[in-house]
Amino acid sequence: MTIVLEARDLSKTYGEVQAVDRVTLAVEEGALFGLLGPNGSGKTTIIKMLTGQTRPTGGTATVLGVDVTSDPVGVRGRVGIIPEQETPPSFLTAMEYLRFVAAVRKIPDIETKADWWFDFLDFADKKNVLCKDLSRGTRQKLMFTQAFIHEPALALIDEPLINFDPIMQDVVKDYLAAYVKKGKTIFISTHILEVAEEICSGFAILHKGNLLHTGPVADLTGRGEHLPSFFLSLVRKDRHA
Amino acid sequence: MLELFHAMMKEEWRVHSTMFGSLSFALFPVMIFGIAFMGSFLVPLMQTTLPAGNLTVIIHASYLMLGIMVGGFGLLGNEVMNRRFGQASLLAYSARSLPLSEQFIFSNFVVKDTVYYFILWVFPFGFGYIVASPFTGVPLASALLLLLTLALAFLFGLCAVFFLSTIYARSKPALWLFLLALVAGWGGLAVLTGMNPALFFPPLLLNASFTWANLLASCAILAVLFGVAIALFSPESVGSEKNYRNSFTPLMQRLSFLPDPPLATKDTLDLYRSGSLVGQTIFSFLLPLAVIWFFLSLLGPYFPPHGLLFIFAITTGVIASTMYTWVTMFDTFGPYACLPVAVSRLITGKLTTFAVLQLLPALFIAVVALLSGEGAYLLPAVVLGLSVSFYAVAVMAWLAGLSPNVLVYDVKVLAIYLVLVGIVLTVFTAVAFANPYYVLASVLLLVPAWWFVQKAKVRWDAVDPAGF
Repeated sequence: MTIVLEARDLSKTYGEVQAVDRVTLAVEEGALFGLLGPNGSGKTTIIKMLTGQTRPTGGTATVLGVDVTSDPVGVRGRVGIIPEQETPPSFLTAMEYLRFVAAVRKIPDIETKADWWFDFLDFADKKNVLCKDLSRGTRQKLMFTQAFIHEPALALIDEPLINFDPIMQDVVKDYLAAYVKKGKTIFISTHILEVAEEICSGFAILHKGNLLHTGPVADLTGRGEHLPSFFLSLVRKDRHA
Repeated sequence: MLELFHAMMKEEWRVHSTMFGSLSFALFPVMIFGIAFMGSFLVPLMQTTLPAGNLTVIIHASYLMLGIMVGGFGLLGNEVMNRRFGQASLLAYSARSLPLSEQFIFSNFVVKDTVYYFILWVFPFGFGYIVASPFTGVPLASALLLLLTLALAFLFGLCAVFFLSTIYARSKPALWLFLLALVAGWGGLAVLTGMNPALFFPPLLLNASFTWANLLASCAILAVLFGVAIALFSPESVGSEKNYRNSFTPLMQRLSFLPDPPLATKDTLDLYRSGSLVGQTIFSFLLPLAVIWFFLSLLGPYFPPHGLLFIFAITTGVIASTMYTWVTMFDTFGPYACLPVAVSRLITGKLTTFAVLQLLPALFIAVVALLSGEGAYLLPAVVLGLSVSFYAVAVMAWLAGLSPNVLVYDVKVLAIYLVLVGIVLTVFTAVAFANPYYVLASVLLLVPAWWFVQKAKVRWDAVDPAGF
């Protein structure tokens, strides 16, 4: 299988704080890979480094064959990204924001594609409303749309289900599962372990910036273990180490 | 009240000190003090050509303008504050989680900002003058009075614009009516007394002859302006869900001649829909310049022929360069972080929108040249104003990237900016005084401007985008 995302000794320090410490991992094409960890474990920092939003202070990483340090814009051009916090620009409507994304990414036929997404995520009635007036859930739908509207080979999502109601969570989980079946790859970070066990094919556990474990979910379930209990025992052990 | 105010002061300190270090921020007022202290020694020299009273007018006008430029609190609805501060979670939004009204939090925010500006700008300047007074022969009482009247000039600018911007946010026709009445009042005063209305500016009257009655009257006017503004302020309503027709595509087609139409279109819609284009034009451009014109016109007899027009063109250029903050204040890098957009491309985009906005100062200088009967010098005045503006903005983009409003308080940034821009202003003021047509050479400033922009792009691409 082709490796689409690879990090070697990836590190990030903020002043004296070691946010990520020599993390090495690889993600194969067609995987739905989950980066798991408690709050403050470095998940968001890793996603930011892998998408060229922040520079590593050590190590290397390539995404779809592009080096994240030397060509961060090239990386962002090839992937889809949903950041944890960012919201769409306040004074554009939802539809105008997608037109803006299409103009920047040079996506053809944006009207048809956008309409499909408005219907699919059930927010067509909000397409002409300014982004600042949208609810958190609708903003998340819009951010989800901008990340997938160009059908990237790899999407990196920080907390994919945050702000979605249970019905929409179900729709999104199904979409992600179907997306990887088409041969595309998804890299998510989450601390909701049940979701990770349900939808991920591979995973990595991060604690205090250190990688504790990485491997296929099937290996765990094959030996009768569950991801939440495995995660908790590993993190607790590391906490007391 | 005090707890919230104290926490906001601490918060403001941390916003700045985490951006560029506590020392750099703490040194900012020290630098203003140093400038005032050393500048005080030039006063005796300047008095040989300019009477002391007129020098006082210039300094008061500067502080009035500072107050005017920072006083547009009425324009700060929730959304603008959110964009101004990015993803930071600030006490200004506490109404959502604490049992405090928006009005209460906002008045604390305004008072906090006022105190901060006072500590950063007003007090250090006055204090520098006071400390220098034993060496310059200026009586201590005069120096203390100057500190008081400068503080009042600053507060008059701030409260007046706070008041006007709040009216603007409530009702635009009401603002126009109010401004018309104000202009008519000023005009009437000028006709009746035969004097420039700027001479009736309360801090100047107080500086010329101190009386407790005048001081109380000034304070009462300030209290009324501030109180009415706070009472009228209404936070922007959230969740109005008004539907807008698609303006993006047609506007982008119209702007297709620009280097980066999508970014220019987004900036234009941001400016227009936030109400900022008209609001900033009135409160951060037209109003300060109108006031400056009144004050500068008092100094006309001390300038060479046509000197006033060119001094005004230079001032307009410097103020026009701050239009860069209009297009950066709504945007953190955040919304672009998930798109293939480099910081350098964003800087280019913002500067392109800035260049389009320069039509305003060009028109403004042209109108002033024509109205003042100096149409013959229209072209050199416009060229000088625009050249200064492009040069100053290029220096600012190099020094502060996409965060000019924040990084200006880094003492190193401000010092370099003042030196690089100050030299140019001094040289071209001298050139304009020598021969008005020589200032056409100011177009050469576009060369270093272009160089600074290229340096800015390389510099800010090499660091993580600012976000706090």
